[in-house]
Amino acid sequence: MDVNSNSNWNWDFYEELVDDVEDNKNIIQCISCGKCVGDCPAAKISNFNIRKIIGKVLRGDKSVLKDSDIWYCFLCERCKRVCPKDNINIPLLIINLRNESFKKGFGPRYNDLRKYVEMSERFLTSGVVVEEPLGGPLFQERVEELNEICNFARIKYVFKASDTNKNRNKRKKKP
Amino acid sequence: MIESNLSLDIEEIEKTYHENPLEFFKDKRLCLFKACLEAYFPGVRWGIQDLLEELDLEVGTCASQSCCSGTFFQRNLITRAQFAAINERNLYELNQQADVVLFSCNGCYNSLLRGREFLKTQEVSQKTNEIFDRLKKKVGGNNPEKYEILETPNVRFIHDLDFLYLIRDDLLNSLKFDLKNLKVAIHYGCHYLNLSRDKRNVEPYLRDKTKLDDLIRLFGGNPVEYQEKESCCGWGASQLLINPREALKITFNKLKSAETVGADFMVTPCPTCLYTLSKPDFRKKMSKWYGDKLDIPTIHLNELISILRGCEEERCISLKQKTPRIEEIFDIITQD
Repeated sequence: MDVNSNSNWNWDFYEELVDDVEDNKNIIQCISCGKCVGDCPAAKISNFNIRKIIGKVLRGDKSVLKDSDIWYCFLCERCKRVCPKDNINIPLLIINLRNESFKKGFGPRYNDLRKYVEMSERFLTSGVVVEEPLGGPLFQERVEELNEICNFARIKYVFKASDTNKNRNKRKKKP
Repeated sequence: MIESNLSLDIEEIEKTYHENPLEFFKDKRLCLFKACLEAYFPGVRWGIQDLLEELDLEVGTCASQSCCSGTFFQRNLITRAQFAAINERNLYELNQQADVVLFSCNGCYNSLLRGREFLKTQEVSQKTNEIFDRLKKKVGGNNPEKYEILETPNVRFIHDLDFLYLIRDDLLNSLKFDLKNLKVAIHYGCHYLNLSRDKRNVEPYLRDKTKLDDLIRLFGGNPVEYQEKESCCGWGASQLLINPREALKITFNKLKSAETVGADFMVTPCPTCLYTLSKPDFRKKMSKWYGDKLDIPTIHLNELISILRGCEEERCISLKQKTPRIEEIFDIITQD
């Protein structure tokens, strides 16, 4: 069992995460009861252990960003439901940790954005994620709004890599 | 002050309209939120639409609505503020044309509630406003008010399952067939079952999560208890893409657990879960990786209601993603 004491706590990493997403401040309330782990689907098929992950964050151990563990979370929110504390938002913490991992370029297998090209492309060209949506796609002039909202987001970089976007650019270049 | 909980107050409706909760909806404009995955299961949309029309309710869809974008937020492809802005864009459009929005997908329902919740954080609402300021300048046109955070929208949200449970008396009256005591494995789906955006606010509205069990009993079916009843379908946001073997192990365990107790089929109120549980390619992979061939049929609650109401097979059951033996179940239910 991980034991946290004042001597091995390092607040730097925790503070960085709280700066980024204020809700993360609540992880300090964790009493290590392990209910989240006992009911977690990811814990059944991998080494994903949210209690240990929170422990690492509180000790300032940034190796958690390199671990494959954080990429096994199903974001099913069961942990949030069973947690005896009201405001610990574990799924949001995981999304935040994955974001940091993305930024630092860790874990190429998990950060392979090519997997998301098709869905990103559909969203930014038709406003939906499937090829033939029931009732048709979003009107083109409204799709423009989504593109504007998503400016500078990771989805835009993924879209830039898509064939559709490359073909569009080629067409634009023709006189 | 931004009103964050837009769930319809089910308890209040039951209190005020205890004789017939359907009356509450009679003078309301209803809108079906278009879930992307209904493309694979058109019967999910048609099932609720046909029922509402038969009950003489005013129902439509919103042409300007986009995907809820929950899947992009969960995959770290957009920020909370961008997610909230997409959400608010949809909310503005829905608020224009509807009093009540119904959700056939746990994911979409969760997204719309979550987007509002994010706006409670000042940092997110500030960034969302900045995005909207940019939108006003670039694509605002004649309606800049489209790009404002709505403080107190009139529109309210309800999940199809909660709605169907609320109007269960009228629903039962519309049924032509019953479930003939078939054994039914129930899968609520995580984002219905674990919905806990704000434990002090949303949970009382949802109350005990036994509504689908109760409905199946009322339909003449026999809900079975199985070990993995509350477990995830295996979708897990990006899990099927980045860790397919592990994700499908969860799916396999769930289906296997239901088959083991003799369930005739599995029912869910979510098309995303249905996609994971039923996709033929996933079934093949599970058989190859874990040795057992699983052929338990899976169906969405709305599709099941269409069958029970005696609709044509093509109107009820998904044409593009048929699961094994689904016609068998259709035939059993519709036998006179």
